[in-house]
Amino acid sequence: MKKIFAKIWGLIVLFIVVTIVFMYVLTDYLYEQLYVEDTEASMIEVGDKLQTKYKGGKVTDALIAEIEDYNTYSNLDVFAVRNPRELSACVPFEIDYDTLIGPNERQHLLQGESVTKIGYEERFQRQIISVIFPLVDQNRLEGIIYIYYPLAKITELANEEVLLLIGSAIIFSCILAAFVYQGIKHILRPLKELQSAVEKMSNGEYSTRVNVSSKDEMGKLSEAFNEMAAAIEREDDQQKTFLATVSHELRTPISYVKGYGEAIQKNYIEGKEREQAMNLIVREAERMERLTNELLELVRGSNENTAVEFYPIVLSETVREAIRLLKNQADSKDIHFVTSFDEQIIVEGNEEKLKQIFINVIENAIRYSNNDSKISILTKMMKDNAVIEITDQGIGIPDKDLPHITERFYRVKKARSRADGGSGLGLSIVEQLVKQHKGNLTIQSEVGKGTKVTINIPMMEEL
Amino acid sequence: MNYIKTFIFLLLITVIAGCRDEKFSSINHHQSFVASVSILEPSVTFYNPLGEEIAVWNFNKAYTGAALIQQDRILLYGHQLDEADIYELSSGKKLQTIKTGIGTTNVYYEEKEKKIFIANSERNSVTSYDDKGNKLNELELRNYPMSMASYNGKLYVVNYKDTLLSVVNMENLKLEAEWPIAKSSNGVLIIPEENTIWIGGHGEGSRPNQSIDVLDLQTGNLVDKIKVSMMPIGFSRNEDVVYIVNHGANELYAMDLKGNTLWKTEVGANPFSVAIIEDEVVVAGYDDHKLYFLKNGQITKEIYTNKGPFQLLVREV
Repeated sequence: MKKIFAKIWGLIVLFIVVTIVFMYVLTDYLYEQLYVEDTEASMIEVGDKLQTKYKGGKVTDALIAEIEDYNTYSNLDVFAVRNPRELSACVPFEIDYDTLIGPNERQHLLQGESVTKIGYEERFQRQIISVIFPLVDQNRLEGIIYIYYPLAKITELANEEVLLLIGSAIIFSCILAAFVYQGIKHILRPLKELQSAVEKMSNGEYSTRVNVSSKDEMGKLSEAFNEMAAAIEREDDQQKTFLATVSHELRTPISYVKGYGEAIQKNYIEGKEREQAMNLIVREAERMERLTNELLELVRGSNENTAVEFYPIVLSETVREAIRLLKNQADSKDIHFVTSFDEQIIVEGNEEKLKQIFINVIENAIRYSNNDSKISILTKMMKDNAVIEITDQGIGIPDKDLPHITERFYRVKKARSRADGGSGLGLSIVEQLVKQHKGNLTIQSEVGKGTKVTINIPMMEEL
Repeated sequence: MNYIKTFIFLLLITVIAGCRDEKFSSINHHQSFVASVSILEPSVTFYNPLGEEIAVWNFNKAYTGAALIQQDRILLYGHQLDEADIYELSSGKKLQTIKTGIGTTNVYYEEKEKKIFIANSERNSVTSYDDKGNKLNELELRNYPMSMASYNGKLYVVNYKDTLLSVVNMENLKLEAEWPIAKSSNGVLIIPEENTIWIGGHGEGSRPNQSIDVLDLQTGNLVDKIKVSMMPIGFSRNEDVVYIVNHGANELYAMDLKGNTLWKTEVGANPFSVAIIEDEVVVAGYDDHKLYFLKNGQITKEIYTNKGPFQLLVREV
């Protein structure tokens, strides 16, 4: 977090500094350029006026004095030159002397044009801007008017405030940097919270949640994190409950078997009691066997990698087979079945799994029905689905328990646990198997009146 | 067949075009002329004594000066060229090329001795050639030898960037004497009648020269300083008048042989050269690219010539 924070902050501060430096340089450059241009313009104005004083012929001392008089009134330096040595008159002869104007400038001046120079001038030993005006008569360069202004003065003018400028630029940068620091800190705070929350999560604190303070991407990320954390916590709770239940469910039969087993071993019980104890041991062992089988079934079902083979099945046959297997159980409670099957229905499924679904549901119906009642089972087509309805006249399920009825080891009446012989896994398995068949399971119930279980399974598509 | 014709035609054109630079307009043997050597547009323009143009020779090479050799030859040289070319005037053809090496400042042809003297500023020497262009001798002189004049078997060489004039025996090219002169001296004229030698110059540093130094032709002693206007560097004379151009003041002076001013007049812009043809004085204005013809101190004709007329050559037949 420190790193990304530092990176963003550094980048923004760098941009700010670069922008300020660039603006400063540009301003300085423009200022100088404008000032130079302005100076040049005023020089040309002055030069043009002074040029009019020359009426032709030789350049006289009086004219030179008159032109140089101008220095008194102006901040520009003005002087007139008539010395041909200075005017490069001797070119093309070689000149071992640094003349005031060069041969090229002389050519321009001879045309009557003024010449502007900006740069270091050996003669004045400084940077100057100068404009040279010719005094030409009959193609003769009789003299020149030389006007110059030291560039240093211009840059000095520009540089006077430079310390102030640099100082304020630094302060401005610092203030901006501080603002940016606070800003980024504010923006990244949720990320920091998320980071520590993730760390807590990975240490097993599944109750960790973060505050959702905004609706931006960061806020959405926080929300998603909270949902994820809730899901993980729920899963964790379920896992714990499941394990607790499994061990509880197993411990009771084991303590029965162990207790009665020891009693038999040490001959504490004899005769008929002994026989009953033996029966009890066998019954509890069967319970354990069934429990472990069902657990295995659940684990296998939840493992999605397990491939289940599907093929076309006549639904009514499978339902009949399930009823047949449970006939004895129903008879013992004087419960009879009312059936109505659509023989045309063919679904794509696994026979064993489908049978398991029906057995579990019908077994539940028998278990929670009163003696001498009826269970109606019907199959029908509805659009592309096969619908199987199993309705009993049993004790029903309270509304508050209905949503949890398919959870593992969930029992409507906790105390009633083993008395009714259920493991609490039946409906979990049913739900899982229905899902495998791409169908869905709905349970409607009213306490005291009965329960209706509806299973929808897609029919086999007509080829 | 047509192809062959075309090919021959093209070949002919190429040959003609190739030859074009080698041949210039010819100058009649019996034609007197004044020739203006321009250096900004390297060329020589020939005018008859009336100031009418006879011929223009435009060059691709950066010649900076020329010298007439006898009546029918002209030698062209350049300070940045390492060779000098000799053309025949009557045919306009190049006769020969002399390897001079870079730095030729001046060429002087001595008619009696029939020798060519070439001054060189790279080697600081003067080299003698016979009039066939064969090298004879070379003598190292002072810094930047340039202006030359001769009299009575002696060659007088002004060392432009030095303070000495060299007196050289033309026969064997041996140094005979060295006389003190001003720096940046340029232009030399010998007046045997007065036993003097006149030395002009630009002036040293920022100070323009305003006089002509007159030295004793035998001893080299300064005998007089003739006051002129500014930068006298071009000389020309006839029997009894000396003409001097002052390029710093754009003035032409006419003097007697003793140095007394007869008249003076403003002429041209930055004139470097003056010459006499028949009874006319010709001045070349370097900055205004004009030739001025004067008679009795009055300008009789002004003609535009190629840019940068720097030197005037005269042939009278």
